[in-house]
Amino acid sequence: MSWFGTRDRAPVTRLDTEVLVIGSGAGGATTAALLAEAGRRVTVVEEGPWVDPDAVEPFSLDEMALKYRHHGSSAALGAPPVAYAEGRCVGGSTEINSGLWHRLPGDLAEEWRHAFRIDEFTTPLLDAYAERVEEWQSVSQMPAAPPPSSALLERGATKLGWRSVEFPRVFRYDPSGRGTKQTMARTLIPRAIAAGATVVADCRVQRLVRDGDRVVGARCQRRVDGIDETIEIHADHVFVCGGAVQTPALLQRSGIRRNIGRGLKLHPTIKIAARFPHPIDHGDVSPYRITEFSPNLTIGGSASRRGHVALALADATTEYADALADWEHVTVYYAAIRSDAGGRVLALPGVRAPLVTYSLTDADMSRLARGLLHLGELLLAAGATELYPSVEGAVIARRADDLVSWWESVDRRRTNLMTVHLTSSVGMGEARERTGTDSFGRVWDVRNLRVNDASLLPDAPGVNPQAAVMTIAARNAEQFLSEQ
Amino acid sequence: MLGFERQVVDHLVTTPDPDRRAAVHRWVAGSLADMPEHLRVGVYAESVALAAVARLLRAGRRPSDDDVARAVQILDVSPIALLRQYVRLFRSLVLFAEQELAGQKPGA
Repeated sequence: MSWFGTRDRAPVTRLDTEVLVIGSGAGGATTAALLAEAGRRVTVVEEGPWVDPDAVEPFSLDEMALKYRHHGSSAALGAPPVAYAEGRCVGGSTEINSGLWHRLPGDLAEEWRHAFRIDEFTTPLLDAYAERVEEWQSVSQMPAAPPPSSALLERGATKLGWRSVEFPRVFRYDPSGRGTKQTMARTLIPRAIAAGATVVADCRVQRLVRDGDRVVGARCQRRVDGIDETIEIHADHVFVCGGAVQTPALLQRSGIRRNIGRGLKLHPTIKIAARFPHPIDHGDVSPYRITEFSPNLTIGGSASRRGHVALALADATTEYADALADWEHVTVYYAAIRSDAGGRVLALPGVRAPLVTYSLTDADMSRLARGLLHLGELLLAAGATELYPSVEGAVIARRADDLVSWWESVDRRRTNLMTVHLTSSVGMGEARERTGTDSFGRVWDVRNLRVNDASLLPDAPGVNPQAAVMTIAARNAEQFLSEQ
Repeated sequence: MLGFERQVVDHLVTTPDPDRRAAVHRWVAGSLADMPEHLRVGVYAESVALAAVARLLRAGRRPSDDDVARAVQILDVSPIALLRQYVRLFRSLVLFAEQELAGQKPGA
């Protein structure tokens, strides 16, 4: 056993727990709440800080500094690179996402069940878990008419005869119609604490400590009042729930590498800043999505604060001053694809941040071009007068004829992509040659170590993965309880 | 933040308000410091190389504001994606911060 080889002079704090949950996002909070409520002694470790959910405005500078990993400046390297954002605070990415809720489509679950040989992964079983999670999270539709930025999507879709849907969200609405996003810091983390769980924030797990085929705990670093403190947490069971980038990186740092970090999936997303002849709301993300081309292509509204509008305009051209001055008439929409490509997460020795790579295929680039054209078509139908695609030097489109040139413009050198959905870097299922865990998140060859987050999904679902992550996490937590 | 990086940021900020300029500089410095190490090393290397070229062209003297403006203009249209992305990174950080700060209520 390599119990913490203590070279550090700083005092070491030792904690003991029955179940250690690493990460407090959608997977970690679900795991912690269910296990604590079943009477387990649970400790949750979160690398980021506690932040009052009401302390900062959504998508603001303050939120990016406090709640985002790397201030939101991360990228998967490749041609083209894909910028991505992850949460780093108690509640994880549920604190920073748009709160859209989409159950895992039944046909996709079926496909995964067969392809990865996942036991007990039928649609009725998953739906039963999803219903429970939806009740906890107050999943609901907007009580009032959609804001103008959403209505525009619907208008464009109607004109073109495309299907569009208002997705429910994890929002609770008061009688006046004001919605509050039900993040993990508002829902399952308080439930876990009420059931006796301990949450240790600002605490980074450096590595897991193993003894033969078991994990016996974790070595962590915590910064308190500017002073680093080493914490050794001894645990009977460990759940790693750090998300699709941090989970495989921690496993690799701990010497667990079999099928770990391969198969990363994400939804490459291309954007358009659309200018309209009238002012548009900028306070919320549209719950409407165009599902005409789902699940391989989804079109929707993006965060469109003044800063986001500026970024989207600058992605297209350096001549954005006029449109920026008119920013109240501009809002940002996106087209996201399911991609054939895969990526990797690789923990680098002596470096905190893992290397993330993603190689888009030619077919992916073609899908992105098609997505951009469809999005452009939709926005013109909705009444937009100018379209700025996130492709350097592309034509600023003012009429349908202008869109044709975008086919050639979307290439690996000039296209600016981003994503907020990362999955599949561990993978679950009995197909041992391709997965890092069994059907319930048990890491191969390590008896008491489990993964329970987005990294388990065998593939990108084509929609916001929070519902799938929480559903599968609840299923796996109950499986754990049934085994003990 | 390196000296050359500070000059690039200074060139890209448009507001004359000194407090807001300082806030943008703080945001960019914080973002660079918080970047994944391998990305920061890449940006750092580009900054060092670009600063060296700029100094070479000025016979060893520190590049002036006009030199930096010209450099940004050239990098913006460079056929080398890595160089265009260098400017894009700084422009994104500056633009986002400047626009968000402009949208804040006084005293916020």
